[in-house]
Amino acid sequence: MSRGNISLAAFLWLVIAFLVLYPLSILVVESFKIAETGGWGIGNYLEFFQDAYYLKTFGNTLLLSAMVLLTTTVFGVPLAYILARYRHWGKTVFTALILLPIVLPAFAGVFAFIIFFGKYGTVNLLLMEIGLIEKPVNFIYGLHGLVFIQSLHMLPFIVLGLSAGFTNIDPSFEEAAEVEGASGFRRFFTITLPLCTPSYLAGAVLVFLWPFTDWLTPLILGQVDLLPSVSYINISYHFTDMHRKYMGIVAVVVSSVVCISLFLLARWWVEKKKYTGLSKGTTSEGRVIEPSMWVKSGAYVYMVLIAILVLLIPIVLGLSAFSRRWTFEVFPTYWTLENFRLILLESPGLIKNSFLFSGIALIFGIAFGLPVAYLIVRTRVPGKDALDFVITLMLAFPGIAIGVSYILAFWKGIPLAHYWIIMPLALFARRLPYFLRMAHSSYLQLDPSLEEASEVSGAGKIRTFFYISLPLLLKGVLVGVVMFFIMAFQEISTAVFLYKGGWETLPIGIYLNWHRGMEFGIAAAMAFLMIVITFILLLIVSRIGGGVLKAAWGAGEN
Amino acid sequence: MAYIEIQNLFKRFKKVVAVNRIQLKVNKGEMLTLLGPSGCGKTTTLRCIAGLEKPEEGDIIIDGKPMLSKGFVQPSKRGIGMVFQNYAVWPHMKVINNIVYGLKIQKLSKQKIQEKAQQVLVLVGLDGLEDRYPSQLSGGQQQRVALARALVGNPKVLLLDEPLSNLDAKLREELRFEIKSLVRRMGITSVYVTHDQAEAMVISDRIAVMEAGNVVQLGTAQEIYKKPANRFVADFIGTMNFVAGEVVRAAQGKDMVYVRTEFSEKILCRLSDNTEILPGAKVYASIRPEDVGIFSEPSPDKENLFKGTIVHKAYLGNFLNFFIRVDNTMVRVQVPHHLPHEEGQELYLFLNPQKCMLLL
Repeated sequence: MSRGNISLAAFLWLVIAFLVLYPLSILVVESFKIAETGGWGIGNYLEFFQDAYYLKTFGNTLLLSAMVLLTTTVFGVPLAYILARYRHWGKTVFTALILLPIVLPAFAGVFAFIIFFGKYGTVNLLLMEIGLIEKPVNFIYGLHGLVFIQSLHMLPFIVLGLSAGFTNIDPSFEEAAEVEGASGFRRFFTITLPLCTPSYLAGAVLVFLWPFTDWLTPLILGQVDLLPSVSYINISYHFTDMHRKYMGIVAVVVSSVVCISLFLLARWWVEKKKYTGLSKGTTSEGRVIEPSMWVKSGAYVYMVLIAILVLLIPIVLGLSAFSRRWTFEVFPTYWTLENFRLILLESPGLIKNSFLFSGIALIFGIAFGLPVAYLIVRTRVPGKDALDFVITLMLAFPGIAIGVSYILAFWKGIPLAHYWIIMPLALFARRLPYFLRMAHSSYLQLDPSLEEASEVSGAGKIRTFFYISLPLLLKGVLVGVVMFFIMAFQEISTAVFLYKGGWETLPIGIYLNWHRGMEFGIAAAMAFLMIVITFILLLIVSRIGGGVLKAAWGAGEN
Repeated sequence: MAYIEIQNLFKRFKKVVAVNRIQLKVNKGEMLTLLGPSGCGKTTTLRCIAGLEKPEEGDIIIDGKPMLSKGFVQPSKRGIGMVFQNYAVWPHMKVINNIVYGLKIQKLSKQKIQEKAQQVLVLVGLDGLEDRYPSQLSGGQQQRVALARALVGNPKVLLLDEPLSNLDAKLREELRFEIKSLVRRMGITSVYVTHDQAEAMVISDRIAVMEAGNVVQLGTAQEIYKKPANRFVADFIGTMNFVAGEVVRAAQGKDMVYVRTEFSEKILCRLSDNTEILPGAKVYASIRPEDVGIFSEPSPDKENLFKGTIVHKAYLGNFLNFFIRVDNTMVRVQVPHHLPHEEGQELYLFLNPQKCMLLL
């Protein structure tokens, strides 16, 4: 344990204290302020848990979470199984398509589905045209629409976790069950699925927490009696009414507590339930089966249906972006580049801001994340586990909590919020876990003896880091870098509280265009632009990741 | 003259003592093996020599230079070559770049590097594969890359940490001899860590048997096999029958004693050199399976002759193993494969007093 490591740890703690612990504690402190008297107390909390409206909101949010989790699970389990186990054509394409919503901004889906499934959207108009219905069907406005959109957005988290689980199960567990006489469904429900619960739960908790975070989708769909939307409305619309503002803060704190508790509970449970097989040398591919013709066709139909829903998002947004006033028509008829002209000429700052803020946040993220990963994996510095813990908790915090706490903490005492640097700082704090997780796991996969071999060969610590550790870490870290950037690029929950005139990012621009003037075309064009940019980034990473680096790792390693 | 001298080395991890104040000398040009079960501290000792672990106490002198007492010498400055258990061949570098990595740091001329690399490639039998990536090599070939990388810089000391344990049995045996002759030819002082006693016996000039952080015996393979220092060593190296008993009295001069055991009032045993054992001491009368003789008939003139029944018979190709019960004690016996005895048969065991050791 060298002195260098300790001072590094101390410095990183300082950063966390300033950017995470301090603002979040201010948030908690503010929630105890009483508007009428100007004093302190638990009055706000008492009111929150006695007031019929707030209780209803709380209940609604829990209900929504449960329904979204149920929907993603029912649709995700077969999907994950098909992707992980069936030998079929187009595995890569379907996997990519089904995971796509992870990198699409959540609000992109809402706009696309409003256009497509709205009251006078494409589907309703089509159905009326062929005479199946007389009045438009309400596909989307309401709880059912909310469940549909949030479920589609969160489906990848279930599929990702479960299919990894299905692939990684030691095949001998299932073979043993088969030998014992358990076949088909029985084996799946008694052996396979229970063994996958840890990997399922890791994704499930994120799905369950999403309705506590997403305030924008409900707002657009007109379902505002949910915790995050109420917090947002109370805090940003009624900031002059101190009481409502404090009640909004209380709602944020309550959401945060729920999120953190559930997150920790799930983590504890996963740790406890982690199943480990004794056998070594299992196949990396897992168990792959060749289904019968009928099953296979069914699987294809199922995958294609979900892929179509996902693909609707970029397609509908694209159509809308290149047309004018796409309303009361099945498909747009007037094609134009006007929307893009408006974005590029009238508000080019948005694109610049998005790149600038996300880029700076990314630099902070790398400069902070790599040393933290190093400390956690390679040293025995005291307090490193707590550091890891605090950063991981940021995964569970609703974005709204960070935005609100930043504006409370950095307005008066430390007036950082008057400068634009607050934007990248907030993005950095909110998205840090994404990068850290990946840096952490690539550090874990890096066998220490590879570094030791370099030291024994006569290389110093610095040379070893740049010639051995960094190139080997790069593959894992690169994915983290791109994910971090994409996540920061899409961030709106935190940024919406902090932006000032001239600091708007693309997501904020999208929100404002919808909110102020129902400028759907421009909002859609911006969302489409974001999707294109995200795609280009993903393409670059897969090119670099697949091309140059693949040669070094060869086909044998995964 | 000792080339590596380990003085009073002490290393612990939190509360667990890994190396407990050991003393060890390795002579110039010698191959010394640290042998012991996992957790005995052999790898930690090796890593201390390499400088990859910092011991709490003690010193390590390499070629007259202290590595610890006059300031910690970094691994990069110790002039060692090391072969790791999992090879640690860098997956992002071609074979040739793996091998010349250290030479480049030494800032040798391009031509010199080329020359040395070619030499060592031929030496380990990798010539022609220098442009491959490690993932395109077999386990044995990767092991050769690791060996080449360790040898190419003409290190003062070569450290090998269970280098063969990840290979299959056949290859492992082949490489043992190869490493031995290679290292001997180059005359490098080396320390080899293994838990495989057969490997240790084949490869090393001397063996240091370790248990729980201590060196319990140091000697040639033959010394350790013939005269194990205690019950642990005897059990770890080869197979040994142990019969618990108590010393009764000295017999036939001062190097023989009688031992009372569960099945016999007196078994005659040889004392190891320079040991003094008082009557009443709890000991183990110990004999190797191949040193036990068997007879179909009792011969009254012999001492240490006991009647037993064959419980199991195991055919091992070149010889047979009998598990023979004498009262309640099971004795393992190794005999030539052509002996006709069958399970259930009674016979007489002869525990040759000259081969019957007294161990604590």
